[in-house]
Amino acid sequence: MSLYLMAAIGLKGGVEVNSAGFTPDLIVAALAGLALSCLIPIGAFFALRSFGRLDAVNASAVAAHYGSVSVVTFVTGAEFLTTNGMGAAGYMVAVLALMETPAIIVGLFLASRYGDKSKGSAHQTRGELLHETLLNGSVVLLTGSFLIGLIAGKDGFAPIAPVFETGFRGILCLFLLDMGLVAARRLREAKSLTLRLTVLAIIFPIVNGMIGASLGALVGLDAGSTAALAILAASASYIAVPAAMRLALPQADSGLYLTMSLAVTFPFNIIFGIPFYTYLATTFAQG
Amino acid sequence: MAKTVIRKKIEVLVDMPLLSRIEKLAEQAAIKFFMVLPTRGGGTEQGRWYDDRVTGGAGTKVLFSAITTEENASNFINALEPLLDSYGIIVTRSDVEVIRSAKF
Repeated sequence: MSLYLMAAIGLKGGVEVNSAGFTPDLIVAALAGLALSCLIPIGAFFALRSFGRLDAVNASAVAAHYGSVSVVTFVTGAEFLTTNGMGAAGYMVAVLALMETPAIIVGLFLASRYGDKSKGSAHQTRGELLHETLLNGSVVLLTGSFLIGLIAGKDGFAPIAPVFETGFRGILCLFLLDMGLVAARRLREAKSLTLRLTVLAIIFPIVNGMIGASLGALVGLDAGSTAALAILAASASYIAVPAAMRLALPQADSGLYLTMSLAVTFPFNIIFGIPFYTYLATTFAQG
Repeated sequence: MAKTVIRKKIEVLVDMPLLSRIEKLAEQAAIKFFMVLPTRGGGTEQGRWYDDRVTGGAGTKVLFSAITTEENASNFINALEPLLDSYGIIVTRSDVEVIRSAKF
C-alpha cells in the first residue's frame, strides 16, 4: 500500500507541475526544504543530548529521523489541505523527495563528530551507504513517479487516473489503520522510551512545524504550500532513515528511533499536528 | 539408495538492510547455493522484532541460509566475524547430508 501511495502522490505532483509549468517558487521551496532538512537535525541533536539525556550516537540517529520526512504524513496532509480548499502546489512532491536524504548525512556527521569512536565501528562500505542514502526505494519511487507524471501530463495520466485517483482515499484510510496498529504495538513494547524522549517526540514536530510554516511564509509560498512545508518539517522519517541508520550506526537503538518517529510523532501529526500546521500556515501566509 | 555427502549448512539471521553485504561475502567465499527466507518476527535479548512492512526493512530480519563445503563455510564465517557484534548477527553452522554434492 505504501508503494501505491508514493506512486500516486508522485504522479499527481508531476502532472500538476506539467500543467502549471516551472516557476521560481519551485526553486525557492526546494531550497527552503533542503535548509530545513539540514538544520533541523542539529537542533534536535542538542535537545536530545541535553533534555533527552541520550548518548551522541543515539541522539544523532534520532535527530536524522526528525530532519527527514514521512511520506504518509505528507500524503495525509496533502489530502487534508485539498479537502479544505487549499491544496499544495504539485512541486511540493519534489521538495518531499529532496528532504529525504540530507538529514541522514547530517546525522552521520554528528555521530562522527560527537560519537565515542572507541565503541565499535559500522564496517559499512561507502558505496553501500551511498546507495541506501541516495537511492533508497522511497526516493527512487517518488522521484520516478514525479518524472513520469511530469512527462505524461494530464492526457497521459488520464488512462491510469482511475487507479491512482479513485481508490486513493480508501487505500490511504486502510494504510493509516495498519500504521495505527504497528504504532500501538511498538509503543506497547518500547523499552528504551523515557518520559523525556516522549515529550521531545511531541515537542519536535510542533517546533519544526512552526519553523516550516514561518519559513514558507517568509519566502512567499502560498498558504497551501506553506502548510505542506510545515507538515514536511514536522514529520519524522520511518522508512528511509531507519534503514540507513541500521547500516551506518548499528550501535544506535533502532527500537528507540523507530518508536519515537512511528509510535509517537506520526500519530501526533496525523491527529493534532496537520490541522495545527495548516492553521499556522494560513495565519502566517495572511500576515 | 542415492549416495549422500556431508556438507555444511550455515544460517545467518540478519537485518534486512545488511542482506546485500551478506550475499556479497557469500559470493566471495565461493558459496553457490543459498536462499533468503523472510521471518514474521522473533525475539532476542534486546526484545521482540516484527516484520511490520512499513519501516524500510530496518526493523525486519531475514534468514540467509547456505549449503557449501567445509572450507567455504569456514571462509564465510571468518568474513562475517567483524560484523557479528556491531550488527547483532546470529550465525549457526550444522552438518547436513546432501544428494548431488557437486551442486554445493
